Amino acid sequence: MSFPIGLLWIGGGGAVASMALLRHAWGKPSRSVPLNLGAWATLLAALLCGMADSGAWGMAVVTLAALAAAFLCLAHAALAAPPGRQAASNRRVRMLPEGAEPLRLGARFLTFALTVPGACLTALAIALAARAVAGRIGLHDADGNVLMLFLMPLLWMLLVMLLLFQDRRRAQLLWLSLPALASLLILAATGTHI
Amino acid sequence: MNQVVHKSTVQRSLSAHAALGLLASALLYILCLTGTVTVLYEEWQRVEQPDAPEMTAIAPAAVQTAIANLLAGEKGRKATGHLYVHLPTDALPRTTITTDNQAAHVDARGALAMPERNAWSEFLLGLHDMLNVPGVIGMTIVGALGVMMLALTLTGIIAHPRIFRDAFRLRARDKGGVGLADWHNRLGVWTLPFAIAIALTGAMIGLGSINGYGLAGLFYKGDLEAAYAPIFGEEGKPDPKSAPLPDVAAALRTMAQRFPEARPLYVILHEPLTAGQQVQVLAGHDRRLIFGETYAFDSQGRFTGKAGLSDGHIGQQVAASAYNLHFGNYGGWPVKLAYILFGAALCGMIAAGVLIWLGKRERRGFHHPRLRAAWHAIIWGVPFALSMTFLARLTIGNEAPFVAIFWLLLLASLIAALCLPDTIRRGLQFLLGAGVIGGGLLAAALALGG
Repeated sequence: MSFPIGLLWIGGGGAVASMALLRHAWGKPSRSVPLNLGAWATLLAALLCGMADSGAWGMAVVTLAALAAAFLCLAHAALAAPPGRQAASNRRVRMLPEGAEPLRLGARFLTFALTVPGACLTALAIALAARAVAGRIGLHDADGNVLMLFLMPLLWMLLVMLLLFQDRRRAQLLWLSLPALASLLILAATGTHI
Repeated sequence: MNQVVHKSTVQRSLSAHAALGLLASALLYILCLTGTVTVLYEEWQRVEQPDAPEMTAIAPAAVQTAIANLLAGEKGRKATGHLYVHLPTDALPRTTITTDNQAAHVDARGALAMPERNAWSEFLLGLHDMLNVPGVIGMTIVGALGVMMLALTLTGIIAHPRIFRDAFRLRARDKGGVGLADWHNRLGVWTLPFAIAIALTGAMIGLGSINGYGLAGLFYKGDLEAAYAPIFGEEGKPDPKSAPLPDVAAALRTMAQRFPEARPLYVILHEPLTAGQQVQVLAGHDRRLIFGETYAFDSQGRFTGKAGLSDGHIGQQVAASAYNLHFGNYGGWPVKLAYILFGAALCGMIAAGVLIWLGKRERRGFHHPRLRAAWHAIIWGVPFALSMTFLARLTIGNEAPFVAIFWLLLLASLIAALCLPDTIRRGLQFLLGAGVIGGGLLAAALALGG
């Protein structure tokens, strides 16, 4: 497939230029607001050019051009990097016990059960409730169903994060059960047969 | 530095990032690697069967003849519910007809040429789509891994407040662990839009089954097809009375006359040779992310309407765009090469992630030589096992047990890692190199010989 010259090429060129400008701005000893703004504005303009030329397809192609340009900058940084041996981080991430700490396998399994199947079911319930609401406010079935299909994985991701950020099991259970309960109520209120 | 994100949030995010990474990294690595290789799905099919007839286009009458020839050979067998004709494209310039019973290539005149033999490409796709676990379970696991990848992306950003500030800083040759962390973080930042796009679309596709069952159960009286019909269009009502072959050639001629901007990709016959049969032409639209638009025709080849994937409801257009955005087949070689580059970067980022965690543990005085060796067995064992399946395709043939070869070799790599933790990395790197070179040379020899 060939790319005809036009707004798409301007967008692609702009995307590359924005990455070069960003590289220059972020390489300075102190942050330059005008340079940063210029770089991001160039990228935005490039994306708009892509969109004006070919809609979502044009935006996707311009994004790939920007990423490819960033990778070139990275490749240069990798090649130009001097050999070194700095002390690396040893921040503890509390994934495995240290020393005589207990392994807490049961608690780990419960966390898995809550964040994977538990959060999946809650996300499914919320997404279905959103679909029911979409139907009630007059959204076409195609829009409502696709909304549900994309919403469910996004909600699951958010729930996974929220649950893993909680220190207490009770808070995790509340984050799972309350939205699920609210969703079931919405489904019942909208007359959906559960 | 201004503390945009609270320190405790950063710490929690890092813990969540590590937990998700350790839970999902091995399977995510398999998905990303196979996804990267699958970008060349059409090209692999040509490598597998270099002697299949190729053409840049096929006449409508030849397609009609080919369908008639194939269905004539199926008399006495169980009637097929669907028939698909793959029409020549730039990436795969072949005409191939698939029914429930068989798949065959045809030549430009519509004569049946040879059976389709692309079992390795299908194995590769099956490994990526469902980790070779059949049915809903496999797709759901893969969809769940897409969700984990999204969560890993977001927790990774929150866990590293300086990640954008240092986005171009890559101390690649630092041996103390900083280099590895830089590679992980930089590749993470610059694959961010790509990773979000493929993880979200992958999750949407993978979780489509359970979500579809949810939609069907609550809104469509359990009818799964009815749940997807508003998006992708519906099939006609079945009528099992026998009927002559529909006029596919007329449908294709109508396509050329009425929709010259659309490139026919597939002809689909629903319930062929029955009174309820329906002809659909799936056609690609240049400079669109959608995989195509479905044009429907009756048995006489008269146009009856289109599904609306190209210009219908926004939900239809979004859903139809998810597939090409995921697989990278919307812009020819430039886009394919970009997807291969970013896919490889994702593999590198995942590989580095677990090594960073192991390195931190070691710097804190906790050494796990077998765990490290097992991770190297994944990093190098997955591509090695994949290269061996490809070699098996070229040497044993289409019937080689690819699933068994891949998973047994991966298991053997893991066992070897536990028994020989000091040598597994070098050993697998050597075997991988030999496998790739051997596969490449053999494929080239077969192509030249064919």
